[in-house]
Amino acid sequence: MNTLDKLTILADAAKFDASCASSGSNRKAKPGALGNAAASGICHSWSADGRCISLLKILLSNDCRLDCVYCMSRRSNHCARATFTPDEVADLTINFYRRNYIEGLFLSSAVYASPEQTMSDMVDVCHQLRTKYAFNGYIHLKVIPGAPQELVAKAGMLADRLSVNIELPSAASLKELAPQKSRQGILTPMRQIGEAASNYGAERKKSRRTPKFCPAGQSTQMIIGASAESDLHILTLSQSLYTKMQLRRVYYSAYIAVNSAPNLPMPSTAPPLVREHRLYQADWLIRFYQFQAEEILQATAPNLDERLDPKAAWALRHFDLFPLDINRASYEELLRVPGLGLTSARRIIATRRVAAIREEDLKKLGLVMKRARYFLSINGKKLVAAIPSHQDLLTAMCRLEKPAISHLSPQYRQLRLF
Amino acid sequence: MEPVVYLYDGTFAGMLHAIARAVKDGGAVHAITPTHRYTPTLFDTVITLKCDADQADRLLQYLQNLHPLAANLAVYAYLSGEGGVEMQMYSFVHLCLRRGKQALSYESHSAVAHLKGLFHAVSREAHRYKGLIRFRILADDLQYGPFEPHYNIISLCARHFRRRLAGCRWLLHDLQRNSALYWDTVDLQPVEVDTDFAAYVALHGEVPAAQLSENEQEYQQLWRAFHRAISNPARHNPQLQQQGMPQRYWKYLTEM
Ligand code: SF4
Repeated sequence: MNTLDKLTILADAAKFDASCASSGSNRKAKPGALGNAAASGICHSWSADGRCISLLKILLSNDCRLDCVYCMSRRSNHCARATFTPDEVADLTINFYRRNYIEGLFLSSAVYASPEQTMSDMVDVCHQLRTKYAFNGYIHLKVIPGAPQELVAKAGMLADRLSVNIELPSAASLKELAPQKSRQGILTPMRQIGEAASNYGAERKKSRRTPKFCPAGQSTQMIIGASAESDLHILTLSQSLYTKMQLRRVYYSAYIAVNSAPNLPMPSTAPPLVREHRLYQADWLIRFYQFQAEEILQATAPNLDERLDPKAAWALRHFDLFPLDINRASYEELLRVPGLGLTSARRIIATRRVAAIREEDLKKLGLVMKRARYFLSINGKKLVAAIPSHQDLLTAMCRLEKPAISHLSPQYRQLRLF
Repeated sequence: MEPVVYLYDGTFAGMLHAIARAVKDGGAVHAITPTHRYTPTLFDTVITLKCDADQADRLLQYLQNLHPLAANLAVYAYLSGEGGVEMQMYSFVHLCLRRGKQALSYESHSAVAHLKGLFHAVSREAHRYKGLIRFRILADDLQYGPFEPHYNIISLCARHFRRRLAGCRWLLHDLQRNSALYWDTVDLQPVEVDTDFAAYVALHGEVPAAQLSENEQEYQQLWRAFHRAISNPARHNPQLQQQGMPQRYWKYLTEM
């Protein structure tokens, strides 16, 4: 099989992976080496599904020995199989990188040999890139569950980011849908990476010569909608991954019904894209807007409202806290106003130090008031003539959702009818 | 005194000097503009300046000391090439003299808002092109990257690639302005590109096949195959694709 055919099969098999971010690593250029990693992340292209392409995202192999129920590459499926040699992947990476097609490599793999052998081949790719080609660009490596400690440690010295997929939001679902994977096989390397990163980090504080371990941190991914967990369950899990395991990112991947099995959604089921989108928004609130999972959802209503972004939903539930005065509200308070982002809040605070904000300044500050105007006042003066009733406000907020949402799925347009 | 029109030579230093001079003169200013953009009218009092690099430097240094962002606003305003930025800068410098560093936080001031807006627009385009420039590897192993940016950002892109591709020889070519920068692994210098070659590239969005290195087309094909395969048909969404990568960028993109 030639490289072109392999690439087609193995990129196709990698497309279900959600993560493609290349940010968070600041790998400075070195003399005699090829490349660097930009801390802010660079998109190199956009695929026809509208996602940013920044890494050469491929599997080393899709020829899996295991049989996870939800997976396209599982052993019992009939599909075209291919396996790259480590040399092929390294050559592709270098040649794509020099032409500025990509920011680096994102390598994952099916378990085509023993977990040790598979992981060792993946580490070999990184090793070739870093030594033979003096490649200094971004590498994200998936850790194969059950990979031995030494290989995980070695991977951390070569890659910018490591990830161990958590796959499903609970141990019970994992047992049912991925019986050959164990929760321990996933959590052990995750914990090992977290600990190694903080140890090396502490050493680096003492001596700059200590090498970096996995400098862009650790991420993980879970499949949404293949099993029955609530959004509250999922967000609580993410929150603890961020705080207890120091994960940098959790990716959510709407389950695409590729297989039929009694314990899975029907193959004709559309992927829950709106739900996935809402989870990302809620995740964003947890990471950057100082929200707690328990504020976003409660046990009595454990799922996100698909019609509304989670911040607007929160604000509507706590409408008695509003309106906030734009000249007096604190930064933290401003962050809770629907329609105001981090930049807007920062800009409001900065401007206020020089001059009080007047109504005519809002536009110059670049503030989009369509949603925020229901929640803000200026020097005691409301920005809308009359605050609508709760029901009307809810309708108005749903209508003001970003248009991109309506492209996510046909169902969503039906939802918006009422 | 009548409002004055200051004319300068179109260079960055010239612009700074003209602004410094206008501030120093202290009179009413009607316009500050490059000579080649100026259409004379009967009523203007015109002062044509010869660039004084010292004066220009002094203003830039003043802005730099105030805050690096203040100096950057001047640089990016110039790179934007938009008409009227000189007057915005003039009014911004006045504000700085009155308010000091605080001027930068005065986001509701129209010059500050405008200049910051331009700064973001220009840096956004430069950032985008860091990803969207596609190098073709030519027969002599030179990496050739054609593009047509809206703003004059070739120097910003070059700054990025001289770090990232320090050990490779490359040439960035802005076909909009027909300007090119060549990196020979040691130095960066402006060069002229052969006109027939440039015309061919501008027309076809690609380098003549005979000049490409042996396996260039093979890697281009691999990249196209990857680009196609990585897209998820269940989420097909060309509108979103175009939102990230508007059509005006497609011409030199190998994959589109
Ligand atoms: S181990 Fe990975 S590739 Fe193999 S069946 Fe399970 S999910 Fe699929």
